[in-house]
Amino acid sequence: MTLEKLDGNILAEMIFVGAHHLKSNCKKIDALNVFPVPDGDTGTNMNLSMTSGVAEVKKAKGSNIAEVAQAFSKGLLMGARGNSGVILSQIFRGFAKGMENKESIHTKDLAEALDTGVKTAYKAVMKPVEGTILTVAKDAAAEAVKLAAKESDIISLMEKVVESAKASLEHTPELLPILKEVGVVDSGGQGLVTIYEGFLASLKGEELPDAVETVAEIDISALVEKEHHHIAQDFMSSEDIEFGYCTEFMVKFEDEKLQENPFSETAFRNELSNHGDSLLVVADDEIVKIHIHTEYPGEVMTIGQRYGRLINIDIENMREQHDAIVSAEAKTEAPPAEKSTYGIVTVAMGSGLKALFENIGATVVIEGGQTMNPSTQDIADAVKQTNAENIIILPNNSNIVMAAEQAAEIAEENVTVIPTKTIPQGISALLAFLADEKLETNKANMLEASKQVKSGQVTYAIRDTKIDEIQIEKGNFMGIAEGKITATHKNKEDAAAQLLGNLITEDDEILTIIYGEDVAVNEVEQLVDKLEEKYKELEIEVYEGNQPIYSYLFAVE
Amino acid sequence: MSIEFNMKDGVITITNDVIATIVGGTAVECYGIVGMASKNQIRDGIAEILRKDNYSRGVIVRKEGEEIHIDMYIIVSYGTKISEVAHNVQSQVKYKLHQILGLAVHSINIYIQGVSVANQL
Repeated sequence: MTLEKLDGNILAEMIFVGAHHLKSNCKKIDALNVFPVPDGDTGTNMNLSMTSGVAEVKKAKGSNIAEVAQAFSKGLLMGARGNSGVILSQIFRGFAKGMENKESIHTKDLAEALDTGVKTAYKAVMKPVEGTILTVAKDAAAEAVKLAAKESDIISLMEKVVESAKASLEHTPELLPILKEVGVVDSGGQGLVTIYEGFLASLKGEELPDAVETVAEIDISALVEKEHHHIAQDFMSSEDIEFGYCTEFMVKFEDEKLQENPFSETAFRNELSNHGDSLLVVADDEIVKIHIHTEYPGEVMTIGQRYGRLINIDIENMREQHDAIVSAEAKTEAPPAEKSTYGIVTVAMGSGLKALFENIGATVVIEGGQTMNPSTQDIADAVKQTNAENIIILPNNSNIVMAAEQAAEIAEENVTVIPTKTIPQGISALLAFLADEKLETNKANMLEASKQVKSGQVTYAIRDTKIDEIQIEKGNFMGIAEGKITATHKNKEDAAAQLLGNLITEDDEILTIIYGEDVAVNEVEQLVDKLEEKYKELEIEVYEGNQPIYSYLFAVE
Repeated sequence: MSIEFNMKDGVITITNDVIATIVGGTAVECYGIVGMASKNQIRDGIAEILRKDNYSRGVIVRKEGEEIHIDMYIIVSYGTKISEVAHNVQSQVKYKLHQILGLAVHSINIYIQGVSVANQL
């Protein structure tokens, strides 16, 4: 069966069936209503709006589609109730506008009318909230517009519209966090889907089953869990729990007791609220269910007993529970975060150096260096910690390069070691790293950069010795250039100056000084003054590295 | 004016501006609202739509005795049912204030300062 032309009579019939279908589902839609205000009236409001629309259509019934649509729009506008009702009236106001001056329409007009409806609806809101009836209407209309060019059968078009409206509805919890939290789809969206389903059924001449009137009872246990969830997540300690017992019970009303004490849900709730918090009271004609956190469950139950018998009593000690939850929570690991493309592991000593490395892009800085080499395991752990696809290790010490390479071998991740032998080399390599570049490019650039820099270190001798023909006395400072001792002096600044004298050539432009924990600020200043006088063209940068062992680390480029 | 909560460890003071920002922020999310308007249209220009920083010019918080009243000045979109839109604003604002500040307001009076037809089809 196909239908190529839609006229006023058919549209009127669609509207009647849509309205009827909405009506029979309106309780179900009410139950979904948590946004924007969880007052559970969306279905009712939409139904009242639709009813008003239907009344106008009945008055105008004719074969002119523009007139029917116009009447529907007018009825909806006049009878608009609630947020969803107003939005519905706007969708169909635009819809009617799209049919102006038309006797009958084809698929293309229908798609355009749906689209105009969405545009009109969106124009009436400053900040559209996605994940609502607006989104569902938009997605459905978009599908219609997409298909209209090649589809001439109105029934097939409407089938696709309903399908995509449903798909969009299923997606609403992803867009609107409150929906996800409660575990429902958007109520207004559901209402629109229901209307569209009615439209389609009418076109197909199908009977829609009336919805079963029983609405799933509000799941109190889920609500209760939510309360507890909050408590556990909240930053309170067990001692802070003011009301220690989570008390749940039901009162089954007894007629003779009610005659003595007429039951009022509001009064009962107010009275209980003095006895604790997290109060939930849900009542019907036969039973009232109570959930409360209280210090004295007995008192609360005594109050309940005024109206009837107590059933389903459940009392939990929350202080004990809280302790259990907290210790359990501590054990559960956080869900794995998404992997980043690059992770950088480097080795350094001293808080200043660590911060310096972190500032220029290191993901993990392992504490270590000369005399304190991290183990292969330490490096492997750090590699894991980066949670990245490609990990680059900068060992910054010749003694650590091997361990780093071993760690790279045992790692499941893709690990690359740039064999930096000094801190300055590591810094230069890291500065050459670009997160947007391919691994191969980064590898080449970093290796190249680490070779460009000349490294100098000043440290002290722990015993008398003679290395490379240089006699060193215990307690003296040694200047090491590229791993070779080239200077020694009683005073660290002099050792530094002597070392730099060998290291700096006319081609060099930048000197980076990282001073250690044993160096005072005024000592560095004196050294810098001296150096500036000697090397007028040189740019000097100074960082506080707080590293032990090395008084000075120099990078010359 | 401001609203004070007496807590165990001291006092929490919430100024009018905070309430105005919450009220204004909620209102502009409501369907059918085009914007917040200034209370003083003549001084501030005809039905000027307020920017976020100026919501307090369109939201007046009054305290009469223990009761809190809110007056708000809004501009609605052409073609919506104004009474219903305003009613939605009332319930949404009331809900949000209760949710965010734990504040129970006694009344929310809505003044429609304008109808926007500018962006009609």
